[in-house]
Amino acid sequence: MLGVAAVLALGCGDPELPKPPAGGSESLVCSEVTPGPSPLRPLTRDEYDRTIEDLLGDVSAPAQGFPPENEVLGFRNNAAANLANPLLVEGYMNAAEALAVSATSERLELVAPCPSGDQTACGRSFVRDLGTRAYRRPITEAEATSLDALFDAFLPISYVQAVQVTLTALLQSPQFLYRIDSWRAPTEQTGALLASRLSYLLTGSMPDAELFAAAAEGRLATAEEIELQARRLIETPRARDVMRSFHEQWLGLSLLDGVARIAEDVPAPAEGMADPVLVQSWRESFRRFVDHAVWNEGTVSALLTSPMMFVDQKLAPLYGESAPSEDFLGVERPDRRAGLLTQPALLALLAHSDQSAPVLRGVFVRERIMCIEIIPPPPTVNAVPPPVDPSATTRERFAQHTADPVCAGCHQLIDGLGFGFERYDQFGRYRTEENGLPVDESGEVVGTEDLELDGPYNGAIELANRLATSSRVRDCLATSFYRFAMGRTETDADQCSLDQVKQRFSDSHGAFNELLVAVTLSDAFRYRAAEGP
Amino acid sequence: MSMRKLGRRQLLRALGGAGIGLPLLSSLGSGGARAQAVAAPKRLILMYTPNGVIHEGWWPTPGAADTEFTLNQIHQSLAPYQDRLILLKGVNNLVASTGLTGGPHQRGIGGLYTAQTLGQGTFVDGCGKTAGWANGISVDQEIAAVIGQSTALKSLELGVRALENDVQGRISYSGAGQPLPPMNQPLDVYNRLIMAPGFSVAPSDPLLAQRKSVLDAVGRQFDMLAAEVSTEDREKLESHHELLRDIERRMSAGTNGCTVVDQPPLLDPASETDMPLIAELEVDLLAMALACDLTRVASLQISTSLNRIRYPWVNSMGEGHALSHSFGSDADAAAQLVERGKWHCGLIARLCDRLSTIAEGDGSALDNTLLVYCSEISLGNSHSHTDMPFLLVGGGWHFRTGRYLELGGVSHSNLLVSLMNAMGLPAQTFGLPEHCTGPMVGLV
Repeated sequence: MLGVAAVLALGCGDPELPKPPAGGSESLVCSEVTPGPSPLRPLTRDEYDRTIEDLLGDVSAPAQGFPPENEVLGFRNNAAANLANPLLVEGYMNAAEALAVSATSERLELVAPCPSGDQTACGRSFVRDLGTRAYRRPITEAEATSLDALFDAFLPISYVQAVQVTLTALLQSPQFLYRIDSWRAPTEQTGALLASRLSYLLTGSMPDAELFAAAAEGRLATAEEIELQARRLIETPRARDVMRSFHEQWLGLSLLDGVARIAEDVPAPAEGMADPVLVQSWRESFRRFVDHAVWNEGTVSALLTSPMMFVDQKLAPLYGESAPSEDFLGVERPDRRAGLLTQPALLALLAHSDQSAPVLRGVFVRERIMCIEIIPPPPTVNAVPPPVDPSATTRERFAQHTADPVCAGCHQLIDGLGFGFERYDQFGRYRTEENGLPVDESGEVVGTEDLELDGPYNGAIELANRLATSSRVRDCLATSFYRFAMGRTETDADQCSLDQVKQRFSDSHGAFNELLVAVTLSDAFRYRAAEGP
Repeated sequence: MSMRKLGRRQLLRALGGAGIGLPLLSSLGSGGARAQAVAAPKRLILMYTPNGVIHEGWWPTPGAADTEFTLNQIHQSLAPYQDRLILLKGVNNLVASTGLTGGPHQRGIGGLYTAQTLGQGTFVDGCGKTAGWANGISVDQEIAAVIGQSTALKSLELGVRALENDVQGRISYSGAGQPLPPMNQPLDVYNRLIMAPGFSVAPSDPLLAQRKSVLDAVGRQFDMLAAEVSTEDREKLESHHELLRDIERRMSAGTNGCTVVDQPPLLDPASETDMPLIAELEVDLLAMALACDLTRVASLQISTSLNRIRYPWVNSMGEGHALSHSFGSDADAAAQLVERGKWHCGLIARLCDRLSTIAEGDGSALDNTLLVYCSEISLGNSHSHTDMPFLLVGGGWHFRTGRYLELGGVSHSNLLVSLMNAMGLPAQTFGLPEHCTGPMVGLV
């Protein structure tokens, strides 16, 4: 176990022992600061592009051509899973070369101004100013001197060439490409590390000028000051991008690409099984819903129960809504929709091509929403969905799971959750009948070890309302967000920090901005474990 | 695959003054003094197609001797190369059949070239089973680490609609949980190859001098950072730095006067319409990369396991995975699967055609190439990992080819050891030790 002596505060000044957050008399105080590991991690593609935009004013988003991140638990920023590979390193090189060319040809005044005309001196300033911003902490003199040598070697060709070549090197340096927390020695730079953590968590990009200044002036030393910065950053538009991204990763929405759903009454796309237009609309509709729940309503309860659904011209007729003239329109359907789990994108994702998927939906609610792990079926089970039968409902066909005692043990935990969504077909369209037979949407929550959750219910809307008040569900969301924030799964050392986050989230009755602030105030965020010499 | 189609789509053009209008790719390698001076390099290609094969169209009819077999329908396009084939029956993917994590498609593809089980994770297969990535390095990367040091690319991973970024979408791993993404856009492949230093970029090109200076400076940034971070982070940085050194190493390679295929158009890697053209272009680019010695290790992955892709160009309008489940009771589904299999083998034949026209020593580049084909399961409707449809093409310098062998139930891990031996690695085991007893008996 790590002692306090082996823990470093990321704010400037003396390591401050954790204090209870202001106004929270019952808040959890950890007896010992154990922040858990903080391995380096590469910028994700989105972080890379946003950082480039902030650093160079270049919006070409070159990282979208990099190979995709390896996902762990749905998250694309997992430190352990994302190491360099040849294609990625070549992508870094090609991007750096192209960015340096466009920066020097289009924005030289912004990147490396030289009003004095003393090109060597301007080169020194460029390396130190841009280097510090690119590395998100003061560039060391050794690092800068090494880049100066590169600059000087190309200066005889031209100032532009020297800047371009040096910028190409900066953009391939690990100090730029990775988020690095594991410095061996505590230095005055540690305030910059906290600034970087704050900005990547809350804006998905490098610190802005105010945050850099706060770090440099030692203004990130107390919880109050960190909270002030966090609340400021939460108000920026980038925070919306981050929360969209979190929800998409948490819920596995990346799998929506290539999803194809078919039904007799829906015209099939002309080519292939997937309809990319529909997928795009589903995804955007989902993002709009997340924006609405997180920022307009602001609570986990709204996320799980809001009757809003967003439709465009493509989606509206499919879901029985009148089409908006342009863009997306939010419609309230309290009779049909209750929150996240009834969103078309998610219901279509959790379906088979030609029928709903009660098992996938049940597993999803249990694992992703309740954080209860399910033991996979034994390898001998050939779990192919039963063929569509026009004379029966999906539920009747899937009922074998619970009729067969071999399957029933696990499937009673799953199917009682999945059957509640039977009023939504493979497109997520609301239905009261299937094949002319009435749809039975009754279900039962079983074996959650949570008395608030267990018990029979009727339909997804009732289930959603029950989930919305559950502490298990709220804690699950907090845990998922914690994994996203830390870029790793939690360890034993994270227990107290995670409890701090859960409690703050709970005290705020599930307010999202309090969840974000809570993470920034947790020990795991403010401190790092120091490696011995 | 018709020569006419290729000729229209992508006329060969020659760099460095080589003649135009030669037989396809015929000048590849022949002008390279390097290729003549030293023994031709040996190359390995791993190939993959999804959802098993239809056995009725796959297994050959055995003859009196193992060299006297009659090819089945799916392999007809390989008839000109029958003496170079080894068809194996009785090879089992034991890591997949005994593994507990993941569904049968996930376990099958993850274990196919790694001989490893899967980690825990949240990738969901069609039946709701979950898994993570494979738990170890794949055999191509194990081999590339040894024989890929002197080429522009240590290995080349190509995909045709291999877009799914999860365990069902990857066959090649540089280590446990470290899958290598395949390239699905022929134009990207082309650009990567054509820009390879030592290929079209001459050592005297100022761009190379600039890159070298930049990489030197970046290397110093790595060194300075490495001294400051934890041991674990230092190792990650070191493996990244090593990849930069790989790039730097390539720059000292001289141009070898290779001929290249025309620049391919920008295509849609997710499109059903573009899929057959993408496959053909990638085969041609692969032939170019091998013949020009830009790489000696490659993989070609045709889509991903458990997918629902249609093949309209061979009149297969069913969904791939559904067909593989229904052929037993549906003659039309069976016929479609045969057509799909024939198309897959046609790609192998196309590659053989390309390589066999490239002179190397007394023979052709095909003499120095070994291709290994398989799927993640044997049979779609049972998800069986028994009698995996392994097909070897080439490798005559190590294996006795032109044979159909019925081995009666041996672990596919042993075959992977044999591949390592064929490529010059003196290995005795690979993957999970409990499923490997050494090189496969009877191949050499």
